Amino acid sequence: MLAALLLAAFTQTIDSIPVRPPPRTVAIDERLAADARIKIGDRLVVTATPGGIGDTVVVGAIVRRRADPSEVARADYRVIMHLDELQSIVGYGDRVDRFAVATRGAAATDSAIRHINDAAFGFQAYRSREIAVETSRTFLVVSRFHRAIGVITIVASAIFLLCIMLLKVDERRRDVAALRLLGISARSIVRSVMVEAALVAVFGSGVGVALGWVAAQLVNWHYRGVYRTPLAFALITPSIVVLAVTLSLVLGLAAGLLAAQRLVRMPALELLTGRREERRGENALSS
Amino acid sequence: MLLQLAWATLTRHRSRTLLAILGVAVSAAMLLDMVMLSTGMRVSLRNLLLSRGFQLRLAPKGTLPFDTDATIPDASTVIRVLRTIPDVTTISPVLGGQLHITVGGRTITATALGVDPSVQGDFEIAQGRIPAAPNELVASDDFLRASGAKLGDTLSAAAGYDPQLRSFTGRRALVLVGRAHFFYMPAEQRAVALPITTLQQMRGTDARDRASLFMIRARDGADVEAVLHRIQTALPTVTAVSTETALRQVDERLSYFRQLAFILGAVSLAVGFLLVTTLVTVSVNERLGEIVVMRAIGVARSRVVLQIVIEGVAIMFVGALAGLLLGLATARYLNSILAAFPGLPAAIDFFLFEPRDAWGALGLLTVAGILAGIYPSWRGASLPIAITLREEAVG
Repeated sequence: MLAALLLAAFTQTIDSIPVRPPPRTVAIDERLAADARIKIGDRLVVTATPGGIGDTVVVGAIVRRRADPSEVARADYRVIMHLDELQSIVGYGDRVDRFAVATRGAAATDSAIRHINDAAFGFQAYRSREIAVETSRTFLVVSRFHRAIGVITIVASAIFLLCIMLLKVDERRRDVAALRLLGISARSIVRSVMVEAALVAVFGSGVGVALGWVAAQLVNWHYRGVYRTPLAFALITPSIVVLAVTLSLVLGLAAGLLAAQRLVRMPALELLTGRREERRGENALSS
Repeated sequence: MLLQLAWATLTRHRSRTLLAILGVAVSAAMLLDMVMLSTGMRVSLRNLLLSRGFQLRLAPKGTLPFDTDATIPDASTVIRVLRTIPDVTTISPVLGGQLHITVGGRTITATALGVDPSVQGDFEIAQGRIPAAPNELVASDDFLRASGAKLGDTLSAAAGYDPQLRSFTGRRALVLVGRAHFFYMPAEQRAVALPITTLQQMRGTDARDRASLFMIRARDGADVEAVLHRIQTALPTVTAVSTETALRQVDERLSYFRQLAFILGAVSLAVGFLLVTTLVTVSVNERLGEIVVMRAIGVARSRVVLQIVIEGVAIMFVGALAGLLLGLATARYLNSILAAFPGLPAAIDFFLFEPRDAWGALGLLTVAGILAGIYPSWRGASLPIAITLREEAVG
């Protein structure tokens, strides 16, 4: 009888011990997994403060970071947890930082924003687009900076191209003089020089595009490694290629036209003998 | 004579020389800008961090100062421990937050700094005085502009809001006693500063005895790294950073700009070098007859080389001088673009002019000019005299 009572009491005691729930799962990002050598199934202790009391969790997934420009320069790690568990660990109570709300179309979005902002106090509804604009301000600045650098580079390239074309046409002064003396019209000479300039510009653009593509691959390879992100840092799009080739062609033709017109305006005999340049040199020496 | 000959050659093809100088000027401007970019940000940040004499900063574990909303608990204990460390002379705790300030029926949200007014290093007073009493605050120009508040006004401020009760929390009436310039704030930031205890009380239990940052000044002549080590040992639950560590971490984050500066600087130098090389090579090819005549009448090969090198250096030098002016103007423009970076202190300059940079860029271009002239001139001066004379005469 006594034994039966003791057994009943013992059984009751066992029943009253609360069953500890199994550890919950978290997802961590690749960067943390690689640096801390964590694998799926590993148990971690998550705390809000260093050395504090926390929860044991199991790594359920390792996630790849999105190609999000706003996270590029940040070296921090990311752990994705169940909301209630995070609230409990950081002592946040029944609070969240933001809600993501899906709506049925643009009209529904407008009315949802209106309703939320009319009804709510202490928080504000935004469109995803507005938040994207705000968070991408850094990249707008970088983009403006790149554009400014691009303009400087274009100016430098234009001068370089003009200089090369001038030299190239100048080198052919004797040929041009001979052609003029043979009776070939100035117009034909200008045209031939411009065709040559166009060919040089197109060929140069082709080589430039190839070099640009190789440089873009190298830049992406390097910065993806440095920042550990799948983000593309340099992109060569068809519009960029069209812009570069068009610009090069226009600049090449303009340079060719300027140089050719300069040549055909000079008397053919002076071109042949180079008298004008010699006179300039002599003047410089005598002065 | 050498200079005269070089001058005669350069003025013989004026438009060509002018274009080359222009090309070198643009390359030099770009090179100077990139040299300024590669060092400017670092120097500027260092100057900013050391401007108030605080060599060390304590932030929540694993973060940089004000990088996140995290705070350091038990601020008074941290201060007590820090005071026991030799060579620590000043400890300035800072708590960050937001205040919603109602002025004339409008509510303006401002970044708030809770500081110890007697040792603070976050702002300087432009007008008025430091907030000494618990119910006083100072504000930035942007806040004053936005709110229309004047010194002496009493403002109604709140540190938070309760969505369920639909009311502000942590309310306090604060008297505006000063207009301040905040060193570490971005441009156009509405900012206020008040005693740290006031802000802690206004924020409630979340911020009780907490700080976002401690700025620490070590004794003059003390080994800052040794002090840092002692702090790390005494307070393992916070991250202590020296100015050097902070610079290193910022360097890592903004390494993109340094690398960009290096690549574009190298490209600019290469473009300038190529331009001058092409020009000098063509010039030498055109003057082969003149060169071999000089050689035939007994002019030494080295004199010929020197004359042609002088031409290259002259183009580079004049181009570089023009480029320095152009570079300063473009640097100013580029800096104004990058100054719009969100969250960046207004005092940071990405492009900082230092005479050393200018001399460095000028020196690099001059060396490039010398190198650009050496090969074509040496080739021209080494041609067989008789054969070349005959070829030039026959055509």
